[in-house]
Amino acid sequence: MSKSVKIALAGNPNSGKTTLFNALTGSEQYVGNWPGVTVEKKDGILVGHREVVIQDLPGIYSLSPYSIEEKVSRRFLVEEGPDAILNIVDGTNIERNLYFSTQLAELGLPMVMAVNMMDVVKRNGDRIDFEKIARALRCEVIGISALKNEGGMEAAEKVVEMAKKSFVEKGPGKLTDVPHVFSGSVEHAIAHIEESIQGKVPLRSIRWYAIKVFERDREIIKTLDMSVGEMKHIEEHIRDCEKEIGDDAESIITNQRYEFIKRLMDKSLSLNEKRKDKATLSDKIDKIVTHRILALPIFILSLCVMWFLAVAEKGPGTVLTDWANDGFLADGWHIPFTTHEVDGKDYETASLDFARAEATVAAWEAGEKKAFVEDEDTGNIDEEWEVDEAVYNAAKDVEEPDPSKYGVWVPGIGALINGALERAGVSDTVKSLVVDGAWGGVATVLGFVPVIFIVFLFLAFLEDCGYMARVAFIMDRLLRRFGLSGKSFIPMLIGKGCGVPAVMAARAIENERARRMTVILATFVPCGAKTVIIAMFAALFFREHWYVAAMMDVIGIAIIILGGIALKKTRLFAGEASSFVLELPAYHMPTISGVWHHTWNRLKGYILKAGLVIFPACVFLWFVMHFDWSLNLLADEEIEKSILHDLGSWIAWIFEPLGFGSWQGAAASVSAEIAKEQATATLKLVTVGMEGVSSGAHIQNFFAAISAFPKLAALSFMVFNLFVPPCMVAIAVTFREMGSQKWGWFAVGFQLFVGYVLALSVYQLGVLIAGGGFGFWTAVAILVDLAVIWSIIRPARKEGIVE
Amino acid sequence: MTLVELKEGDRARIVRVTGEEAVKRHLGALGFVAGTVVRVVGESYGNMILAIHESRIAVNDATAKNVEVKNV
Repeated sequence: MSKSVKIALAGNPNSGKTTLFNALTGSEQYVGNWPGVTVEKKDGILVGHREVVIQDLPGIYSLSPYSIEEKVSRRFLVEEGPDAILNIVDGTNIERNLYFSTQLAELGLPMVMAVNMMDVVKRNGDRIDFEKIARALRCEVIGISALKNEGGMEAAEKVVEMAKKSFVEKGPGKLTDVPHVFSGSVEHAIAHIEESIQGKVPLRSIRWYAIKVFERDREIIKTLDMSVGEMKHIEEHIRDCEKEIGDDAESIITNQRYEFIKRLMDKSLSLNEKRKDKATLSDKIDKIVTHRILALPIFILSLCVMWFLAVAEKGPGTVLTDWANDGFLADGWHIPFTTHEVDGKDYETASLDFARAEATVAAWEAGEKKAFVEDEDTGNIDEEWEVDEAVYNAAKDVEEPDPSKYGVWVPGIGALINGALERAGVSDTVKSLVVDGAWGGVATVLGFVPVIFIVFLFLAFLEDCGYMARVAFIMDRLLRRFGLSGKSFIPMLIGKGCGVPAVMAARAIENERARRMTVILATFVPCGAKTVIIAMFAALFFREHWYVAAMMDVIGIAIIILGGIALKKTRLFAGEASSFVLELPAYHMPTISGVWHHTWNRLKGYILKAGLVIFPACVFLWFVMHFDWSLNLLADEEIEKSILHDLGSWIAWIFEPLGFGSWQGAAASVSAEIAKEQATATLKLVTVGMEGVSSGAHIQNFFAAISAFPKLAALSFMVFNLFVPPCMVAIAVTFREMGSQKWGWFAVGFQLFVGYVLALSVYQLGVLIAGGGFGFWTAVAILVDLAVIWSIIRPARKEGIVE
Repeated sequence: MTLVELKEGDRARIVRVTGEEAVKRHLGALGFVAGTVVRVVGESYGNMILAIHESRIAVNDATAKNVEVKNV
């Protein structure tokens, strides 16, 4: 087998790098993280060349060490050492792109520059002289169009050929010809530095190292192990240069790089003069989209579209979710357009008729006068009717409809598992473990995939077409008042779907304070799983208060705003208004494959992470619910003997001031930390012993039993579970993204405080207003609330701590 | 004069960039160096979209205040 070849794909953001990478590697991509950091690492096998690995570097503008992306990129380039570099450059913005290319060229590796978007360059009437650029930067230059799939493969094959040739001709120990771009005195200083670092760095990259030393790049200097005398000598040369030119070393390098590029462009680039300073189509769109008055309504409209697609009743998101939860993952489903009626009824009506009949039979045989059907999700009684002998006799003969008679029926996975277990004749314990425990956990994770998929798909579209960058720009003016950045809005949008990718998306924020604050606050937006809790409580307790459900989103946003204001006034987050710099890519129609890659990579992350954590946690939850301490399997009605009962009892006192201090409330709240929607399933199970006929009535009676103000206790329970820290997967990601244990605990502590105080205030002040009297906890609630109000309205600090 | 004082459609030459080191460096990489001409493409409440080289860069007023310019 021939030696494998490693090619680094490097370029600016928006240069078409991802498109080229996808085209070159097809589906053979491996996504992971760079060691020790949370920057995505992607590599792939070059199509048709099994021995060639393409390593996709993050899109960056420079090789300075100041963003995580730049750090990983340069560490990879100088330490791990690819065999060659494929540098993708946006041909329509070549001057700016070459700033990065000149730095890459200094590394002394074989390099091919792929000048992308040549179709647009030609259409614009501009001309680029590749040969002059190639000579100046000592690399090969090839024109390509990644979007049209033209030239990319040629560029890749060229760079592979160069890499293989350099194996034979030279190794890292050989000096290569690299461009010299600086003025006399700077070159003089660099030559001196090269002399003193010789032997400490790979010879071919010596110039790159020397320039970094000149820039006083601490990270590089640290690795060189220089003596004090040597450093002093070098420092003198740098100082001389700075004095002569009248600027700091780093600015000198930046300025002279651009001057070099300018001179090169004067020779090799001829722009169509007619186009100069003319508003492009993108500029015209931006006139509207970022308009003073129109910007916000347009943005809100796009949010409404996302809302409709993902969570609106009868929207595609809910239809898909119902299909997944009730069909695909459960009993089964009919292939659309194959269904037909039997005896004048469709399958749904027939099933409902059968459910009614079953309820009637059960009621009559139990000696009840009334029968009812309850909603599977909320436990609410949908309809109720009188039962007498005639009704019973009619119901007795109703047969369960056979779904396969109503159309092409595809059995669901749940049904298949059930069937397989029954055929295998396993014990009830094993069956319960597999169906309720293990499969229940998997189904929980998969049940959210439709909503999350739609949110991610929509966001990938907005990002790929260029609108998301504008959103960040529009929202910056608003969000910076709360210590956040315009870029904080994107994580919050994603948070509507799932908090896990939301927290991860905060990485795009450069300002550390704003980034941390975004991680802490983004999960207060009620996610897809939390809407399950809201739906249940709205149906059981707040039928006549339609606004309660909508209020939860409003409260989430209010917490983000007020929390931001309060945090910004603490020592940890005080400081100058953060700067905002963001390139706005030209608008373009995203490609289907691009949007798909984008969506799928995020979704895959969610499924894997959620699966790894939620699945075992659900098995654990099943275990503590269904067993007592002597490991006897319990029936549903025996839940009071379960381990969960005892665990709940031990911590119930915590919830006493909130109005639901019983083992049931505690158990449901704890299981909500595993996955938020578990709160509803657990609540149904732990209230089985309550009075009432339906599980909804059980829950209503449960709250009536523990509090004189059941609605307030229920509201308090809901608010608590919505606004305490998100599920454990999101908490784990929060810890990682906050960067240290200390910061992780701060975030989770803050979230716990917010959720607890909110629930406490809702219940205690509610009871006070409702005439329940003034007690110890009422006083506590009022005092804490005053403290919170003070933390929001107190005067701001000027200076923050410097990290 | 700094960038914030410019109106939509104005062109100006960058004299120097001040402020926080990291931001200055980022701006430098994007082409905000002495001598380069920028054009204001859009402006809204002090936040602006700038044309520099062939790209569009959005900055807020806190950042715009740190870029000193002179008339072309």
